[in-house]
Amino acid sequence: MSKKLVKAIADMQEESALKQVNQMMADKVEPAVIMDDAMEAMEIVGQRFEDGTYFLPELMLAGEMMNQITEQVKPEMAKTPVTEPKGKILIGTVAGDIHDIGKNIVSFMLEVNRFEVLDLGVDVPPDKFLEAIREFKPQVVALSGFLTLAFDAMKETIEAIQGAGLRDEVKIMIGGGQVNEEINKYAGADAYGKDAMAGVTLAKKWIVAK
Amino acid sequence: MSAERTKIIACSLVIEEIVPYLPSGMDCQTLDSELHVNTDVLRRSLQEAIDASTSSAEIILLGYGLCSQAVVGLQANGCTLVIPKVDDCIALFLGSEEAYKAQFKVAPGTYYLTKSWIESGRSIFDEYNILVDRYGESRALSLMRNFLKHYTRLALINTGRHELEFCRDYCLRTADRFGLRYEEIPGSSSLFERIVQGPHDNDFVIVQPNEIVTFRDFK
Ligand code: B12
Repeated sequence: MSKKLVKAIADMQEESALKQVNQMMADKVEPAVIMDDAMEAMEIVGQRFEDGTYFLPELMLAGEMMNQITEQVKPEMAKTPVTEPKGKILIGTVAGDIHDIGKNIVSFMLEVNRFEVLDLGVDVPPDKFLEAIREFKPQVVALSGFLTLAFDAMKETIEAIQGAGLRDEVKIMIGGGQVNEEINKYAGADAYGKDAMAGVTLAKKWIVAK
Repeated sequence: MSAERTKIIACSLVIEEIVPYLPSGMDCQTLDSELHVNTDVLRRSLQEAIDASTSSAEIILLGYGLCSQAVVGLQANGCTLVIPKVDDCIALFLGSEEAYKAQFKVAPGTYYLTKSWIESGRSIFDEYNILVDRYGESRALSLMRNFLKHYTRLALINTGRHELEFCRDYCLRTADRFGLRYEEIPGSSSLFERIVQGPHDNDFVIVQPNEIVTFRDFK
């Protein structure tokens, strides 16, 4: 598989990227493969942002390209015969935090990998998570947060889940920005993921194991 | 705390708030706010600045917060490190971590600006101009609106020390352009004053000589 798509996104060639996605879809390339390329490109964008080659505008454009590619790929996914969804995952950015670029990528990668995902959006208070756990009955809860202040909200959310007697019903993963093992312990989650693929790997491991 | 044996290393975005309280004789070093773009780079720069100061100082004060954990892992050879116990500079401008948390309850979708942020030319609204240059006005506006879709408020923090007329104009115009509600919120100089003059009470992380700064120190 050529890496034209990776290069187009990473180099901010929006038109060429979208054309490439169309071409790949016409060639019956699997959505998961297309998204893998898009993810690889996002990683390059992230690196270029951190080393100062790119600025916020590129991050915006990349986020926008991801959205558009998602929109293009989604209908195709709906068409391909679905094997039983692998399991249910509840995801959201915790209270006080409204960063959602990273969470959206995780959410979409989980969908591409055939999980049923309920995305509660941003600034989600603990109560909303509780309500959704009761109704949607996910096996996995995924919390995203980019502000260090959000690490407190993650902790509070997990404590609320514990307090409601639901902690044993779900596995909890966290991620976003500076989340690491220390934060994982602080928040009381089961594991953290450094990127969307790590999230998918965790979900696969947990849901098969259940 | 003897001023001569104390040094402050502060971010360029907060230094002008600290300077009015700087005791005479205290050494002061400013680091570029741009270093924040990469947490590892900021951590390395802070460590270098600390290492270059340990022979002449006994106490090193940092005009920073947890700053995406950039301060986690820092260590001062033979010196005590003092850091305000806040997440980032917005809490510094507001005067306390509690005030910051209270603002989050009011409106989490708030973009905070201060005089120094506006003057630095590095807020997201400056980057908007780069977008316009590259992609034209209408595409830029739609990208930006999308980016800011969860935002409701643009808040200008007034620490009470500056003439803010041009900042207000700037914020009002900016809020209007991007469909945000403008609000001026009161800040405070309390942490800026206490970092250099003490007392270093519970609002500060105090790291003993040769100890390493940890995330837990802040929580
Ligand atoms: C883009 C951005 C914004 C955008 C957000 C747009 C949006 N719709 O999301 C805007 C400009 C609006 C914004 C606003 C603010 N921001 Co901001 N922002 C960033 C920035 C530059 C990039 C974050 C990002 O989206 N990266 C792109 C993603 C794709 O990268 P990624 O992390 O690699 O993503 C992967 C992982 O995180 C992981 N992942 C994510 N979630 C999860 C969840 C699970 C379960 C798993 C397994 C994995 C996982 O998977 C992702 C995909 O692989 C960071 C700096 C940085 N370098 O990170 C600051 C940063 C996070 N922001 C910061 C700040 C301070 C703010 C503001 C307070 C600024 C202000 N002056 O008002 C506001 C706060 C708003 C709020 N209440 O949340 C600080 C946080 C400091 C702190 N206190 O911790 C940072 C670190 C910048 C800095 N160095 O100072 N921000």
